[in-house]
Amino acid sequence: MCAAVKYNLRGPALIPRMKTRHRIYYITLFSIVLLGLIATGVFQFWPHSIESSNDWSVEKRSIRDVPVVRLPADSPIPERGDLSCRMHTCFHVYRCGFNPKNKIKVYIYSLKKYVDDSGVPVSNTISREYNELLTAISDSDYYTDDINRACLFVPSIDVLNQNALRIKETAQALAQLSRWDRGTNHLLFNMLPGGPPDYNTALDVPRDRALLAGGGFSTWTYRQGYDVSIPVYSPLSAEVDLPERGPGPRRYFLLSSQTALHPEYREELDALQARHGASVLVLEKCTNLSEGVPAVRKRCHRHQVFDYPQVLQEATFCMVLRGARLGQAVLSDVLRAGCVPVVIADSYILPFSEVLDWKRASVVVPEEKMSDVYSILQSIPQRQIEEMQRQARWFWEAYFQSIKAIALATLQIINDRIYPYAASSYEEWNDPPTVCHEGIQACWHALLLPKNRPRFVDVLIVFPSVLEKWGSVSNPLFLPLIPPQSQGFTAIVLTYDRVESLFRVITEVSKVPSLAKLLVVWNNQNKNPPEDSLWPKIRVPLKVVRTAENKLSNRFFPYDEIETEAVLAIDDDIIMLTSDELQFGYEVWREFPDRLVGYPGRLHLWDHEMNKWKYESEWTNEVSMVLTGAAFYHKYFNYLYTYKMPGDIKSWVDAHMNCEDIAMNFLVANVTGKAVIKVTPRKKFKCPECTAIDGLSLDQTHMVERSECINKFASVFGTMPLKVVEHRADPVLYKDDFPEKLKSFPNIGSL
Amino acid sequence: MQSWRRKALLLALSASWLLVLLGAFPLLRLAVPTRPRAGASQGWPRWLDAELLQSFSQPGELLEDAPEPPQGPRGGSCDWGACFDASKCRGGGLKVFVYSAAGPVSETHRRILASIEGSRYHTSNAAEACLLLLPLTRDSSAGECSPVPPQWNGGRNHLVLSLHPAPCPRTFQLGQAMVAEASPTVDTFRHGFDVALPLLPEAHALRGGAPGQLRQHSPHPRVALLALAEERGGWHTAGTNFSACPWDGRCEQDHGPEQTHPGATLPNATFCLIPGHRPDASHFLQALQAGCIPVLLSPRWELPFSEVIDWTKAAIVTDKRLPLQVLAALQQMPLTRVLALRQQTQFLWDAYFSSVEKVIHTTLEIIQDRIFGASAHPSLLWNSPPGALLALSTFSTSPSDFPFYHVQQGSRPVGRFSALIWVGAPGKPPLKLIQAVAGSQHCAQHSFSEPQALGSMLRMQRKSRKIPPQIQIQILVLWSSEKPPPPRWPETAVPLTVSEGHRKVSDRFFPYNAISTDAILSLDAHSSLSTSEVDFAFVVWQSFPERMVGFLTWNHFWDEALGGWGYTAERANEFSMVLTSAAFYHRYYHTLFTHSLPEALRALADEAPTCVDVLMNFLVAAVTKLPPIKVPYRKQHQEARPPLAPEGRGPRPEPQPPVRNCINQMAAGFGHMPLVSSRLRLDPVLFKDSVSVLRKKYRSLEKP
Repeated sequence: MCAAVKYNLRGPALIPRMKTRHRIYYITLFSIVLLGLIATGVFQFWPHSIESSNDWSVEKRSIRDVPVVRLPADSPIPERGDLSCRMHTCFHVYRCGFNPKNKIKVYIYSLKKYVDDSGVPVSNTISREYNELLTAISDSDYYTDDINRACLFVPSIDVLNQNALRIKETAQALAQLSRWDRGTNHLLFNMLPGGPPDYNTALDVPRDRALLAGGGFSTWTYRQGYDVSIPVYSPLSAEVDLPERGPGPRRYFLLSSQTALHPEYREELDALQARHGASVLVLEKCTNLSEGVPAVRKRCHRHQVFDYPQVLQEATFCMVLRGARLGQAVLSDVLRAGCVPVVIADSYILPFSEVLDWKRASVVVPEEKMSDVYSILQSIPQRQIEEMQRQARWFWEAYFQSIKAIALATLQIINDRIYPYAASSYEEWNDPPTVCHEGIQACWHALLLPKNRPRFVDVLIVFPSVLEKWGSVSNPLFLPLIPPQSQGFTAIVLTYDRVESLFRVITEVSKVPSLAKLLVVWNNQNKNPPEDSLWPKIRVPLKVVRTAENKLSNRFFPYDEIETEAVLAIDDDIIMLTSDELQFGYEVWREFPDRLVGYPGRLHLWDHEMNKWKYESEWTNEVSMVLTGAAFYHKYFNYLYTYKMPGDIKSWVDAHMNCEDIAMNFLVANVTGKAVIKVTPRKKFKCPECTAIDGLSLDQTHMVERSECINKFASVFGTMPLKVVEHRADPVLYKDDFPEKLKSFPNIGSL
Repeated sequence: MQSWRRKALLLALSASWLLVLLGAFPLLRLAVPTRPRAGASQGWPRWLDAELLQSFSQPGELLEDAPEPPQGPRGGSCDWGACFDASKCRGGGLKVFVYSAAGPVSETHRRILASIEGSRYHTSNAAEACLLLLPLTRDSSAGECSPVPPQWNGGRNHLVLSLHPAPCPRTFQLGQAMVAEASPTVDTFRHGFDVALPLLPEAHALRGGAPGQLRQHSPHPRVALLALAEERGGWHTAGTNFSACPWDGRCEQDHGPEQTHPGATLPNATFCLIPGHRPDASHFLQALQAGCIPVLLSPRWELPFSEVIDWTKAAIVTDKRLPLQVLAALQQMPLTRVLALRQQTQFLWDAYFSSVEKVIHTTLEIIQDRIFGASAHPSLLWNSPPGALLALSTFSTSPSDFPFYHVQQGSRPVGRFSALIWVGAPGKPPLKLIQAVAGSQHCAQHSFSEPQALGSMLRMQRKSRKIPPQIQIQILVLWSSEKPPPPRWPETAVPLTVSEGHRKVSDRFFPYNAISTDAILSLDAHSSLSTSEVDFAFVVWQSFPERMVGFLTWNHFWDEALGGWGYTAERANEFSMVLTSAAFYHRYYHTLFTHSLPEALRALADEAPTCVDVLMNFLVAAVTKLPPIKVPYRKQHQEARPPLAPEGRGPRPEPQPPVRNCINQMAAGFGHMPLVSSRLRLDPVLFKDSVSVLRKKYRSLEKP
């Protein structure tokens, strides 16, 4: 196009100079060229102008143009499914190999149209849903177009609905796939298995060793740990717009919306309704609908007409009864409505039951107990019902709402089997996204920094009402355990150039019985540490680590030299701590190994005037931080500080040369959900002459800076993780009227 | 002119063609490749006519699913809905009857019986049982191990239990019976119906059991990365330099540090590789106990209690065909995951596997959970400490009702408490104590407008008038004296409920319905506390809701001379028990005390009243594995201590022999000594600091 315009611009400059008789000639010539250009351009650009530019590389064809494959009548048929198949027997795991990303590679066969000898098609070429499914796989990280690198193969032969295909010929079509090899590593998706009259619960197409993602498995056909149970997709999910409705009591206690039920069940439901009156609603198919109203979207009770699926939102519990097939699409509608499904289908394997905890979202009642269903449901406390309603809705959002969600969840399950050490955890599969009450910032934090939760939907909906929560945590040191005293601790002294003070600290600390090793982190690159002979002689190994850069975070680096779990971080000017105090601090740490146990305590406060956090170091009745100038903690927190500190906190601390201790307090409180322990009474820890230098003004800027740190960190963490407590730890007999010499730690608190 | 014209024409033509080429070529280049270039990802095509595709099911099809008549169990196969009659189990929960052996009772059989008798599941009447348990044991009458029992009834509601593998061929059809056996093969195991047991060694402890070997949360930096289970039964420890050497025994020439421990039974490594053959399942328990993360190589057996235990949190099930991949993954595993896996192995070992009793109880609890359906244990209760056996689902199924899960749930215990005052023999109303407690700012707001009945045995009295709702509190007086309670009670600003007990000491730990708060302040009539002390202790309890927070303490010790445990009330530098005559704890421990402790232990406590303190401390310590917490207690109370110990309760200079016996009997009943000592006391932050008393929140604690 651009060229044509340019040409046009130049054209008029030439034309006036020519004689009229030639002018026509030239104009004709140029017009032809111009037209040719435009035609070329239009021809090339036309198909693409309606597609997004990303799809340029994708083939554009009509489904009617796919190649036709004729299957000879005597072409081989795979064996029937092997019921004893497990991943480690029937799955060819070598194909998946080592993969640093821990993602399997999935190949999709290209689409073919299969006809039998007489030219009659084997099935519909492809359904809308299966096309969506293959598109979803193709767009995902799992996809590869290199058949040689693939670990899993997905045929493009659509077997979603068994009724829409010819069994023998479909099997023949499968068998002639280029990498079929008895179906090894092939994955078939089927939602409607079986056919009249006996409705098998798994796809009847012989498929040998192929994995089956099936929508109606029973315990007898499901190969635990091999097949994947998937939902039956409800087309209403896409067709109907159903605004979310929060959990809580609803108009009907129990509702049944299925239209085609066995007469025996129907009788049972009618009896339930008769017994419990208006709280039970049994809906049927409408018989007298006017023309043009889709029957799928209406349900009737006597002469009342209800909209479906909207009516499901009016009920607390919704029946999901077995029909001819075990898997019912109504389950998806029910979950979406936030109605707790009451599944009455003996031996049914619920969708994704390998990873989803259905106890949290549904009630499974044996068919035999159907008449008791009302009393069973009534025994469930209201709080639990609301939890289940929320959970049901979350399951739908995450795993049911689209074909894409179903396809990706299936692949994730298979992926987790092959890379078990990188598998998603129970919590990642089952816990709904946390809801935040601590302000919009915390909410955004939760949304922006999700864990590697398998989330297959692009839109994340936050539930509006949930119990007030602090934000749940999973403590990395959750096992109640008191480590043995014999292990001891490693003292880490961060120093720059105060050698004299450093040596005094080393001498003092070395008197502590449980000290196992002393590590000096030499943070001064311009000066060498004193010679070996000058260092104090102490009874434990002393190591000096020289750092490459003068950074505060060097103090929290997980040095290989640290062999004990307990770490004592101590500044090079803390000379006033007694050996009893340090030993007692270590004893306290043993009883609280997942906390920061420190000497000087500090507090954070909300400043109502300034509307922000404030740092407080006065004599207060409360504590929420301890300074790491003298604190015991688990060495794992060094690892967390160095490698898992959120946001830019680490670089911020290094740039400001301040607040590394506040950052550590935030980190530990955030990951454990627990408060610090302050040990022993308040006293001066530094040498008196050191404090004399600090003037009042210096002190005040210091406080302002520290307050800034708290506000900065609170915004990065998206919450205020620090916990305030009113207690500190003292020896059992501290200040008791008891002979001092019989006390274990007599020298505590003395100045 | 002609030439000029020709030149112009030529120029125009060439210019136009040049422009065509220059201008169109880049565009052509973009537009032309409808055919893929080599290496470009092509993907599934976007069909031009995708909109026209039909749905996989016609709108009617999903609805008109033709009905099919209900069907019974198929092909002799059973599942829970079809083969278990849960209607017999309504009411009293799971009641289990154990068949007694026909001939001489074998050791295994005796142990199974012993672990069920005295538990809450046991019934001696086969007719009222909902589950009939048939132990399969090896050494009863020769050859045939268990004849078909009398109430067999096609195996319905039966559990055939074989603790040890392959005892003898079964001589009868299983019918509808469930099977609980050690490490069943995956091919025959029926999920949700059978129960997979661990492969226990013959000498497994009956009760208590050996504690886990884990002494620290993170692996020691010098410990080996891998240990490999050997066929002979030992472990082969490979150093970190295991190179490409796999684990199938071809590794003898392996270089690097390595050791073989034929005698040592427990591995010392971070990961334990266990081959997938069935006999190797015995290594699995050893790894759990040692805190060594089991890496199972294509196991052919079902993992124990897989129905409820989330093994992905404690073990790695992987494919033996990918050795290099597994090794690389183990080496690269993030530290956080390693820590979590290690700790989980220990928790699981302690909660479900360390003794025969725990294994049997876990089996029964799983079956009870199936019966309970929606009110079964949530997965969280099974998979985090202290485990489902100690978190009774009959108490609640909501984790935040328990004291253990507040951190995980991000919840807090309710900010109020109920005082429970136990009035023993002298029968003097504890007026001063009531005043002191009623003054506390945290004492429970009574949520009932009318006095609550505590049961038929109770009498009520309420002496409250014109109470502003925010300071309403709840005090329960448990009158357990021979004398009748006085008709008049002091006027307090709190609702006071008086109830008459059975004069049994264990009554004080009954889960009374009237207790509506999470926290209970347990008191004796003779306890003496100030309001400050109560307030501070409660604030501390809120930080440690799973522990007991008390004022007076005892300490236990091992008495070499007598070869048994003893305990003392002497003031010492450490303690392991707090007296329940003045202590805060969670109300859940009342439920646990009454419904989970064996009958025999509670009877023991009733006989020797001092024992009840020991028992309660044992219980809490066994659940938490942590010491109780001591808070400051004013000296003047301590000097006036003798009244704290009415009729032999409370500390004495020398515990009498029966008391010493008590702690030993408790230890025997628990199978181990659960008590843990602590060396610290929690004081207010400014406690006895040299700062103005006006700055201090708990001033009365400061008085000497």
